[in-house]
Amino acid sequence: MMKGILHIVELDLRNFFRYKWWLVGLISMNLADLFIMAVVYNFMLNSQVTERIESYFNFFAPGLAVTGLFASAFMIGREVNMERRREIHHYMLSIPMSRYELAFGRVISGGIRGLVYMTPLLLTCFVFVGFPTVPQLLLIVFMLFMLAMGISGLSISIAVSTSSFEKFVTARGLVYYTFFFCSSVFYPLFLIEDLGRSGQFPSILVTFAEVNPLSNASDMIRSFLMGTPAFSPYWILSVAIFALIFALTAAFAYIKILAR
Amino acid sequence: MRAIWFVSQIAFFGLIASRMINVTAVADYFRYYVGGLSVMTLYSAAIFIGFDIYEEAEHGVFEYLLSLPVSRQQLVLGRSIGGGIRSFIYVGPLIAISLYVMGGLNPIAFLISLFALFLFSFGVSGMSITIAVMIKSSDRFDIFMGVLDALIVRLSTAMYPLAVVQAANPAYGGIAAFNPVSFAADLFRWGTGIPTIITLDNPLWPVLGIVAFFGFFTLFGVVIYGKRIEGGSWR
Repeated sequence: MMKGILHIVELDLRNFFRYKWWLVGLISMNLADLFIMAVVYNFMLNSQVTERIESYFNFFAPGLAVTGLFASAFMIGREVNMERRREIHHYMLSIPMSRYELAFGRVISGGIRGLVYMTPLLLTCFVFVGFPTVPQLLLIVFMLFMLAMGISGLSISIAVSTSSFEKFVTARGLVYYTFFFCSSVFYPLFLIEDLGRSGQFPSILVTFAEVNPLSNASDMIRSFLMGTPAFSPYWILSVAIFALIFALTAAFAYIKILAR
Repeated sequence: MRAIWFVSQIAFFGLIASRMINVTAVADYFRYYVGGLSVMTLYSAAIFIGFDIYEEAEHGVFEYLLSLPVSRQQLVLGRSIGGGIRSFIYVGPLIAISLYVMGGLNPIAFLISLFALFLFSFGVSGMSITIAVMIKSSDRFDIFMGVLDALIVRLSTAMYPLAVVQAANPAYGGIAAFNPVSFAADLFRWGTGIPTIITLDNPLWPVLGIVAFFGFFTLFGVVIYGKRIEGGSWR
């Protein structure tokens, strides 16, 4: 079973590196966010925020690595949707491997692509914010791999359930922006909770921001590198549940679409 | 897609980020950001004309355009103005949402700023066409415009005032002071007439900056476009 999965992973990684200049462009855009936007925001924070996070640059760097991981792990959905529309999955079915190998191979390769893309962003974060200990580093990599698998699964689930590219792009936009902006990637979670308490933000979105795996992953890196917020094992559990649900949903939805 | 981005930027990023901003840096960051967001959206919509150039080349529309009884200059100018108007029609409802969210409007100032935004939009379209015919590969154009977008928007006053950018890094401040996105964003906010977000003492300088930006890319675009399309060298 592993051999078939490895073949699919290899195929998807080769496809991923075909876009190397596109990836370089995307990384430079992410770095522009960090070295321009975050640097300027440092000078605009109010005292309530600076007491809790000290520097916006340091706060944002882990969040940026997580958004990079999200965007690149999500790319697999675009390819699956294109294959579905052009009926390339007929060719995939002719490959001598089981449908489970094919489906889980796609989910895993999406996750690995996310990790590969995120590595330079995470290294930049370590260089400027600080290095974690070896156990912390292993936990960060493990957590981010689970997150990438979940995102890849979410993306494939959307890709196989949308019949046209326009519908996929619209659904992707909704998911992207809800996950990005309703999380602690760009701003501390306590700000969203404060807005919720004052009735200016719907409580359902506050809860979503708290359980959002992007919030959990960013906050875990911050807790190791900056010491704030305090580490919570709940974050790992939350990301693991997210990864499990979407990896399985994607695999079964993909198998179903292949069998049609 | 862009409408989803726009609304989520206002409803999530604008609302939450305004909570972490010091009021001495920006008195009303939410409204300030919504104003800048309108200009960012206008910029990214106007850029899209460049992608049409590649599509036309791919589908053979270019030959048809060249066979029309219009001069090369008319063709470029028409495309640049067409691209600007198209993006304005597209972004118009979003600008209307921004004005509703921000409240307040100074009619005369707004008409001046609207005229400047039109020129800005034509200028961005001209810039996009110029770069598209210079680069020739749609993939490279896509990457280049993405990077340019990231730099030109972040090194402007669309998201933060010039004084803060200069305090953060004088080099960033120097670029932001001469950035057409800064001119457009500052003029748009000035046009709303909301005192807490106005950063301009004199709107003449940004208006002149936008006219120069429009003039440069229209003239430069005419020359470059004219040279590139002769003898099929645009292929």
